[in-house]
Amino acid sequence: MLVDPQLIDKARGGDQAAFNQLVTAYRNRMFGVISRLIGRPEDVEDVAQEVFVRVYYSLGQLRSSELFEPWLYRLTTNACYDYLRRAKRRRESRMADFSEQQVMMADSATATQLESEERRKRETRDTVNTLFQDVSEQDRLLLTLKEVEGLSLKELQEIYGVRENALKVRLFRARQRMLKAYRAAKADGKV
Amino acid sequence: MTNDEHGVEELFAQYRAACPELEPSVHFMPDLWRRIDARRGFWFVFQGLARTAAVAAIMVCLLLAALNLRNPGASGVIATYPDALAADHTAERTYYTEAIADTSSSEQAPVAVHE
Repeated sequence: MLVDPQLIDKARGGDQAAFNQLVTAYRNRMFGVISRLIGRPEDVEDVAQEVFVRVYYSLGQLRSSELFEPWLYRLTTNACYDYLRRAKRRRESRMADFSEQQVMMADSATATQLESEERRKRETRDTVNTLFQDVSEQDRLLLTLKEVEGLSLKELQEIYGVRENALKVRLFRARQRMLKAYRAAKADGKV
Repeated sequence: MTNDEHGVEELFAQYRAACPELEPSVHFMPDLWRRIDARRGFWFVFQGLARTAAVAAIMVCLLLAALNLRNPGASGVIATYPDALAADHTAERTYYTEAIADTSSSEQAPVAVHE
């Protein structure tokens, strides 16, 4: 835990200063998690604020301050899921949705400004985001939490509130679908 | 583990390193509090009104209960059903008694005429 459980109890009791401290302690970690879960750095702050608004209004429902971190992850995952669903509905014109040629043109226009390392990182992000578009939002969130965030099965059980076996089945299926997307992308020469 | 599975794992590891470490802007906390306050809209006003109405209803109940305890005889409320039946003589007086009286008077009247 990044904070003392007493601070969480104070925030639960409506202490705004304690709530501010809580946000300050967890916001950087949550920024990283949200960034990897949604894959769009420009929207991370917006989603993070939504998470903390939900924390503020539902902190009273938290049974024990010891359960704060898995509960926070659950709220974060739910907020990211809502964001991804909205983004899918809006069908925004995203870099990942562009054709290969458009990406190449955009790349060549900015190539002079970007360091090669930065460009490589962006390509990796775009590749993973493209693969994630071929699986559901639930699969994306679960796989990111497990494979990218490195959360253990026990931690995931606490976040999702399911038994270990059910979680293993979900993970296996999500991995299979991701693998299928990877093979398809590889066959198209995108990976 | 197949080559593809290994490829996916490696891609995830690269993805983790490729995601930038973001810092919140200076407006993060003020904007957060603005959103929290904005969320207090209609629902919170409604909750406040409902709470006030509930408190007012409890106060009225307590007031009425206190008045009742202070002056129990004046309330006119009868505690049990037998008491209520015992207290209710009006039905007998108004219907049966008067009906008998009417019958007797009507029987007497022709006698008086006959005489």
